[in-house]
Amino acid sequence: MDGLNPVIELEHIHFGYEAGARVLDDLTFSLHEGEKAGLIGYNGSGKTTLLHVIMGLLSPSKGTIRVLGRRIETRKDFREVRRTIGLVFQHADDQLFSPTVLEDVAFGPLNLGKTPKEARRVAMETLERLHLRGFENRITHKLSGGEKKLVSLATVLVMQPKALLLDEPTTGLDEEARVRIASLLAHLDISSIIVSHEYDFLAETAQKIYSMKGGRIEFDGDSGALHAHLHRHPAESHPHRYI
Amino acid sequence: MIQEPFVCGDSQIHRLDPRFRIVVVAAYAFVVALSDRFSVLFLGLAFSFVLIGISRLPLFEVAKRLLLVNGFVLFLWFVVPVTFPGTPLFHLGPLTATGEGLLVSARITIKSNAILLTFIAMIATSRVATLGAALSRMRVPEKIVLLLLMSYRYIFVMETEYHRLARSATVRGFRPSTSIHTYRTYAYLIGMLFVRAQARAERVYMAMLCRGFSGKFHSLQEFSFSRKDGFWAGCTTIALLGLGVLEWMD
Amino acid sequence: MHISEGILSGPVLVSGIALAAAGTAIGLRKLDVDRIPRAAILSAAFFAASLVHVPIGASSVHLILNGIVGLILGWGAFPVILVALALQAVLFQFGGITTLGVNTVIMAFPAVVSYYVFGPLVRRRPEIALPAAFACGAASVFLGAILVGLALTLTEKNFLKVSAIVAAAHIPVMIIEGIITAFCVAFLKKVQPEILPGNEIDRA
Repeated sequence: MDGLNPVIELEHIHFGYEAGARVLDDLTFSLHEGEKAGLIGYNGSGKTTLLHVIMGLLSPSKGTIRVLGRRIETRKDFREVRRTIGLVFQHADDQLFSPTVLEDVAFGPLNLGKTPKEARRVAMETLERLHLRGFENRITHKLSGGEKKLVSLATVLVMQPKALLLDEPTTGLDEEARVRIASLLAHLDISSIIVSHEYDFLAETAQKIYSMKGGRIEFDGDSGALHAHLHRHPAESHPHRYI
Repeated sequence: MIQEPFVCGDSQIHRLDPRFRIVVVAAYAFVVALSDRFSVLFLGLAFSFVLIGISRLPLFEVAKRLLLVNGFVLFLWFVVPVTFPGTPLFHLGPLTATGEGLLVSARITIKSNAILLTFIAMIATSRVATLGAALSRMRVPEKIVLLLLMSYRYIFVMETEYHRLARSATVRGFRPSTSIHTYRTYAYLIGMLFVRAQARAERVYMAMLCRGFSGKFHSLQEFSFSRKDGFWAGCTTIALLGLGVLEWMD
Repeated sequence: MHISEGILSGPVLVSGIALAAAGTAIGLRKLDVDRIPRAAILSAAFFAASLVHVPIGASSVHLILNGIVGLILGWGAFPVILVALALQAVLFQFGGITTLGVNTVIMAFPAVVSYYVFGPLVRRRPEIALPAAFACGAASVFLGAILVGLALTLTEKNFLKVSAIVAAAHIPVMIIEGIITAFCVAFLKKVQPEILPGNEIDRA
């Protein structure tokens, strides 16, 4: 996949919360066009922090961020980033705050400058695409976990991002919802970083698997070459190779 | 982020009985707020400086707190002298500033700062949980104390929840401006906050019931009025009486 | 809308304390002990929401939200606002101690009025409810500004002009609060209508 244009490039990123240890320690990583990267790491390893740094919600103390080849530094730059990259939060409840589904999905386009009529149109199209037709007037707060996750995805996809960041997309989902999301993500043709600790989920949705350790990202292998598990295994959540 | 930078000190004041501190601050606040003579006001201000000194609080933090209040006071300096009738002192274009107006503004400035500084030294140096327990021992109705303590407990949670929701807006390109879209967004964020608050409250209440809550508030804190407290009580009483005499006796 | 220390006279301060105490007593009587967690968390939400600042022209303004608190809590607005103001004083040194009573009345009295005047209206259909909500938000700020003016003028007749200026300064805030209250009520009507207009609290 190298040789394709990089969408997101992170070089020597350092980040630490106030008094604590460094969460991102000289982290270097790039996501190329068409790539779907899975990112594994235990809780607290900094995966969410990484996503927030990319979106400009947190500022790294050192290092450079490039999106579509352009260096991203100022607040203005990050506003552009948010038109280009979509972040799907771990908890859909943190993402949805409008009364109805349609309004929540239309929120992004309105911010991008679309007229209310246009925003409504693209929102309906996106809902249609995600098989959520009929959900327009449903109350977001009252949806099931799986439905909320789909709507949450819709609110981001409607903005037609060039890249997608997903933070633990299977959180709070039952088996049926998980299957649905996995299938959806597998068929989406957008460069993505999918953070998950569910190995099998990543095997279905990502092509390359990376892991987060010691504040850095390491490449583990193509998900095709790594094997799938049908049973519990002592090294379960840590990426490992089939020898 | 809401912070409490003053509670972790260890000065004489930090070690005083919080009930005593509440009473003293209230008495002081009223004496100073109702005084008019500059001699009394400056003395009162001096007392507040002394208390801040004894409390050994970080002066930079204290100064930051003063900014807010003095912002409003500054507004009054612009408005009061030119609207208060009295002997004209000088002219600013079409407006006339009066001596009386300036004096009123000066008094307000000294009073605000003196009371605020004393409040910081004596009350802001205590955890809200401690203050709540103290109030309950002072026979303040249980419901109010419970309300105070629980509200405090959830302020940080609500603030975080709001920020998470607001982040969702930011991440989708939201930029606050003077527009209906902006006001609607804020209204939804706040509405969602209330809805989530309500849902959380139900869960919290059930959890409390499950652990035997029956409406009574119990505290682990114990208070004892020591000799040092007595000494302070004596000194402050004399000081306040002195101020009172200065102010109201001719 | 917070009056800070050192401005008001003794009688005004004491009246403020007395009225606030009375309002709080009524509010507490209507608040069963099992309703306190809800009131507390709403108080915390109200506190957090009042930290939000909203752009208006070149600057920004903090929201007061006493209209919507009144709709949701009725008389319970008194203890809830009292507690929120006390916490603002302790945590930010915003507001005052001697003025705690007066400031509570300034914010909570319009809240209770809103509950009685606009409460029944926001239950109705959107064509009626939303303009009512706008009026509720605007009127609550307006009434609060009037009370500020009253407190100032009763302290000192010569503060009348200052009162007028403070009231005028609140006109833009009135409009914004009206708009936000309207959208907020629209939101609540769709998502959780039971939260309006506070009839669970109002049990004598």
